[in-house]
Amino acid sequence: MTNGASFTEKAVCILSWGAALTVPAVLCTLMGFLLWRGVPGWSLALIFGDTAPLNALLRGAPVFDGLWPACLGTLALVALAAGIAVPIGIASGVYLAEYARGRSRQVFSFCVDLLAGIPSILMGLFGFALILLLRRTVAPAANTGLLLSALCLALLVLPYLISTTRLSIEGLPQELRLAGACLGLSHGQVVGRILLPAGMHGIFSGVILAVGRAAEDTAVILLTGVVANAGTPSSLTGKYEALPFHIYYLAAEHQSPAQLTQAFAAALVLLCLTGLLFAAARLLHARLEKKWKTGTTI
Amino acid sequence: MTPPTNRLAERLLFCATAVSAVTVLAIFGFLLWFSLPVFHGEALASLLSWQWRPLRGEFGILPMLAGSLCLSVSAMLLAYPLALGICCFVHGAGPVRAARPLVIAVRFMTSVPTVVYGLVSVFLLVPLIRNAFSGSGFSWLAAGLVLAVLIIPTIVLVIDGQFRQVQSGLGLTGVALGLAPIQQLLRLTVPLSARGLGVAAALGFGRAIGDTLIPLMLAGNAARPPHSLLDPMRTLTSHIALVVATDSQSLVYGSLFACGVVLFLISLLVNLALRGLRAGHD
Amino acid sequence: MENGNNHLNPCAFRIEDLSVRFDGRAVINRVNLEVCQGGPTFLLGRSGSGKTTLLRAINRLNECFPGCETSGRVCLRLGGEWAEVYAPGTPVELLRRQAGMVFQSPNVLPLSVERNMSLPLRTALGLPAEECAQRVEQALREVHLWEEVRDRLAAPATTLSGGQQQRLCLARALALRPEILLLDEPTASLDFKAARQIEDLLVELKSRYTLLVVSHSLSQAHRLAEQVFVLRDGGQVERLAENVFRDKEALLAAMDELV
Repeated sequence: MTNGASFTEKAVCILSWGAALTVPAVLCTLMGFLLWRGVPGWSLALIFGDTAPLNALLRGAPVFDGLWPACLGTLALVALAAGIAVPIGIASGVYLAEYARGRSRQVFSFCVDLLAGIPSILMGLFGFALILLLRRTVAPAANTGLLLSALCLALLVLPYLISTTRLSIEGLPQELRLAGACLGLSHGQVVGRILLPAGMHGIFSGVILAVGRAAEDTAVILLTGVVANAGTPSSLTGKYEALPFHIYYLAAEHQSPAQLTQAFAAALVLLCLTGLLFAAARLLHARLEKKWKTGTTI
Repeated sequence: MTPPTNRLAERLLFCATAVSAVTVLAIFGFLLWFSLPVFHGEALASLLSWQWRPLRGEFGILPMLAGSLCLSVSAMLLAYPLALGICCFVHGAGPVRAARPLVIAVRFMTSVPTVVYGLVSVFLLVPLIRNAFSGSGFSWLAAGLVLAVLIIPTIVLVIDGQFRQVQSGLGLTGVALGLAPIQQLLRLTVPLSARGLGVAAALGFGRAIGDTLIPLMLAGNAARPPHSLLDPMRTLTSHIALVVATDSQSLVYGSLFACGVVLFLISLLVNLALRGLRAGHD
Repeated sequence: MENGNNHLNPCAFRIEDLSVRFDGRAVINRVNLEVCQGGPTFLLGRSGSGKTTLLRAINRLNECFPGCETSGRVCLRLGGEWAEVYAPGTPVELLRRQAGMVFQSPNVLPLSVERNMSLPLRTALGLPAEECAQRVEQALREVHLWEEVRDRLAAPATTLSGGQQQRLCLARALALRPEILLLDEPTASLDFKAARQIEDLLVELKSRYTLLVVSHSLSQAHRLAEQVFVLRDGGQVERLAENVFRDKEALLAAMDELV
């Protein structure tokens, strides 16, 4: 039964088993360590510090030792970034899937790919340069802040949104387009009434992934206005706190074991958040695929 | 013929699409514009040196460039075989029932925030390295290992997608010819997936060289080229993050944006490579 | 083969010198065809002979695919007047409503039964809800589907059986009040019984609509056709005389000779 090539086969088998055991083991070690160090820090005080939670929630009482300002900061940041990027991303994905033809399609696709490949730190540097330019020209008092970070994050997640939208629509069966066209709908109506609703699951999963990406990125906000102590975000141009930066900051600058525990607990919070978003996106994506695999013919 | 609302809608969609193109151009334009002061004469010579001593007016970025390349290449050397191994495991070398959980685990890894990898490694991996060898533990080795973990999912997902496509095209042909799953994998699937393997390498490399947080947190940030795996080092990305936070001299900023230009050009090269691979496919 | 023309209805549409190329490759080449009102008119041919492309040239559906070039003339009645399909001013959406189409496999939209019917009525025609509901019921009755789906109008159309889905697609086209129905192998994906239902419907509908059917089935053409054309490889169209397609043996022999 065995022949000369079985050596390669054996080698590949060993490599496969090695990789398949190593990677999950590393993942488990990481998660186990995180749980071990982070879970003891989980309490209401982790979020709200010494302030009464209701006071913080309802009356906006300042929270000093908790994650509350960082959570709010991340929330504001993600909401703003999504608000900017989602409409542009979906519109642009639709354009590339349904309208752009020939050369313009190639050029724009390349730009989107290129944008997707640009390291996030360069988005931050771009935002920083924008402020330098503003300072030298129209607004000498311009400074980095929440809105600038949101703008740069929006640029960072834009290519994800564009390509998921584009793939969701291009992946729909051609019969849908024909069905709409032969019923006398215009191209715009086919896109708006048939293709967009049909691809909505996929587009929405792209939005969720983009939100997750925006929530976890640290490099962009590092250069565009995040600080360690700003309290709850108060204005669009002001400094703010954010969860991932908070974790990064505590990892390097923690003063006490309690602060370190807080860092691990915060990392666990962030991981749960991105994990949930990820699971939601997968679920939607799976539903889209299932629909088009079984739905067409019986 | 076309109703005016349709025309308007198409215009709007076009404008949205133009945003990406304008952004790419704007980023490159800004980087270039702000780095112009260091692109001639003495400043350029200083920029292309191995010394980073801003207080003495030496702004060499070569150590950082070397650091970036060393780190991403070493991370790739570790991550790529592992990722390929996982894909082989999933597509024939391992038991069928273990494949799905493994893919789900790898997909989950894509959602783990970089800062979480960084935090855990600072307090788990770095002390291990410090105890096992000498020095502080913040080193090329630490950053390389964690960066490999970070880019494995990217590579796996691309190769897995390619394998899936090839195997669904093959259908039951290989099995009907009497090939064992592993034989079908090695004789048919892998050779037919050459381009996908290339795309995965390019994407993985792009992700590795663009990452900021892992080298920033783990590599020790010494602005000189590493001579051994245990040496601290600094990458272009972490260099930008570190210097923006501390310095404000004009020439320092110039060199910073020059780093940006270099990074931009690297990602442009990676993209051109990807484009070449994909164009060959059509 | 030109006898038997005298008792036919007046002409419903005319195709002159029609060629369609995809990426430079000619799929049909200088086809001439005149189809009379009523029918059903059958278009036979081997797979790959360009039957579907010819059918789609009539409602300009080929334009949904990149790289398609069409030359020649297609004339049909649009709203009572003769119109040239490929003239620059022809409203293509109106054209597609007047020439309804049914596909080989039922292409219901991933929506409810009711939305499948009403989406084109509301969107393309802009009808008010009341008239829309009226037309939906009327069209569903016309294809004998109303009794089967009246209690599940809100259910997804994909939960219907294959035959029901195909009748839904037929009703969806009928609700737009077309003059011509283009049917692209409407029974090919259906089981025997569902196919029979569709065939019976074709007989019922022929008095009200002009029917052009693309088919693989010689026996179907034999049983139902009023007029038969054969599309030969390379795009020539031959018309079969009635005494040929009414006689099974003669039809087989003719097909052997032509394709």
